Amino acid sequence: MTLDEILQGRDPDRLSELSREDMRRLFWMYKGLLKGVERDTAYWQATNDNLRTAYERLDEQERELARAYQTIRQDLEIAQQVQHALLPKDHPEMLARFEFSVYHKQMTEVGGDYYDFYRLRDGCHAIGVFDISGHGVSAALIMAYLKAQLVQTMEQVSRPRDIVEYLNNATVGFLREVRRYATVNFVAFGERTFRYVCGGGYGVLVRGDQVHTFNKGDPFIGLRRRAYSEYELPFETGDVLALYTDGLVEAQDSTGADYSTRRLHELVRANADLPANEILQRCLDDYGQFRRVDADDITLIVLRRRAA
Amino acid sequence: MSDGSEPSEPVVHGALMAGFAQACVNLNIVAGRRATALLADIDMGRWFPLAKWMEIEQMVGESYANVEPIRLKLGIEMMTLWYHRGPGKALIHRGADFLHFQTGSHGIASVIRGPRGMVGSFDLEDFDAERGHAVIRSSTPFDKTIERGVLIGGVMAPGDLYYVDVTNDGDPNRLVVEFH
Repeated sequence: MTLDEILQGRDPDRLSELSREDMRRLFWMYKGLLKGVERDTAYWQATNDNLRTAYERLDEQERELARAYQTIRQDLEIAQQVQHALLPKDHPEMLARFEFSVYHKQMTEVGGDYYDFYRLRDGCHAIGVFDISGHGVSAALIMAYLKAQLVQTMEQVSRPRDIVEYLNNATVGFLREVRRYATVNFVAFGERTFRYVCGGGYGVLVRGDQVHTFNKGDPFIGLRRRAYSEYELPFETGDVLALYTDGLVEAQDSTGADYSTRRLHELVRANADLPANEILQRCLDDYGQFRRVDADDITLIVLRRRAA
Repeated sequence: MSDGSEPSEPVVHGALMAGFAQACVNLNIVAGRRATALLADIDMGRWFPLAKWMEIEQMVGESYANVEPIRLKLGIEMMTLWYHRGPGKALIHRGADFLHFQTGSHGIASVIRGPRGMVGSFDLEDFDAERGHAVIRSSTPFDKTIERGVLIGGVMAPGDLYYVDVTNDGDPNRLVVEFH
């Protein structure tokens, strides 16, 4: 009986039949197995210890991360409040002349859409709608910067084209440096008309059954120095003006189709007899049913001239 | 390092570096992007400064609170790879052969070069096949526990021995090999 035969069978009682040489083999085989187990046990114990240490480090890092996250959350909440404070709130003079409604939603706590109401040096009321490239804190900071620049600009010039050109010239160097730009839609209201400058922004005027889409061929603010074009359209009692940013019309449904300017313009036209806030609500309801998810900041302003 | 002259600083052959790095990856001592970067850095046909090897040894040391069993396993894994995935099988046929191979001109001496005082030596002082006993005197700059693992892994790799152990016997440069 050999060692191999015994090991392959199930009869340990026959070990006594082994030769001296086989008994020696068995001895070293056993010791070798023990040594292997000893090494493997030490290895796995060390690995296990290391894993425990790694988990402890991970726990500590998670706690640090949670603390950092909390700090960021608090900062963002403050940033949100600051940005909210930068948007117009009370505008009784505008309300006396225009019936209007505003929807403004940032995708995150702070964002890059910005709108404001102004009283120009020549006494005209005006609205500016801007969409800063990107999202989040950096876009919000650019927004604050643009607002500050606009305040200075308003003190210098009053025509929409001059305002936008002045603003662009004052900011293009910095915006190029930080690789940001902004679309602009600036509208100044006269007695029975309005004049506008549109660099990448969106606007539509509904007069009865007629729909006038803004000519948006001018450049964005912050790309290069150049002259802007100014256009004039009639704007009388009953006419409806809608200004908005691309977050609305470029939102997609589950098939990947855009909400589209055509759909929005048709909706404004079809509801042009309603009060401004109801037109805006119809637009938002339709948009809400259409889009799968918000993909960008959204601003929509619907405005109608009140009867004199 | 192709003219055969001794370099002024110690260098380690890329094949040895690659085996060491691959063993670290196999044992998950490094993983993910670090593992990819570690392996990508090593060209098997080049010589590397010994400092590069020491960097990896240091990384292993810093990764574990109780590192000695890991170092031992690392050495074993290196030689398992060398035998089963590398040239080992063609070079040795029995476990005991490895002791002669590793202490000969094709062993450690062939994968580390430089000033004698810095690369040291790896010599078989005693070899008794009957008793299953050998003594190696090592003054190489490599970690002695990894070196013990290399000897265990190399001697065990052919699979003809039941028992292999290497101890330091109090003197870290004196490696006592028991094999049966």
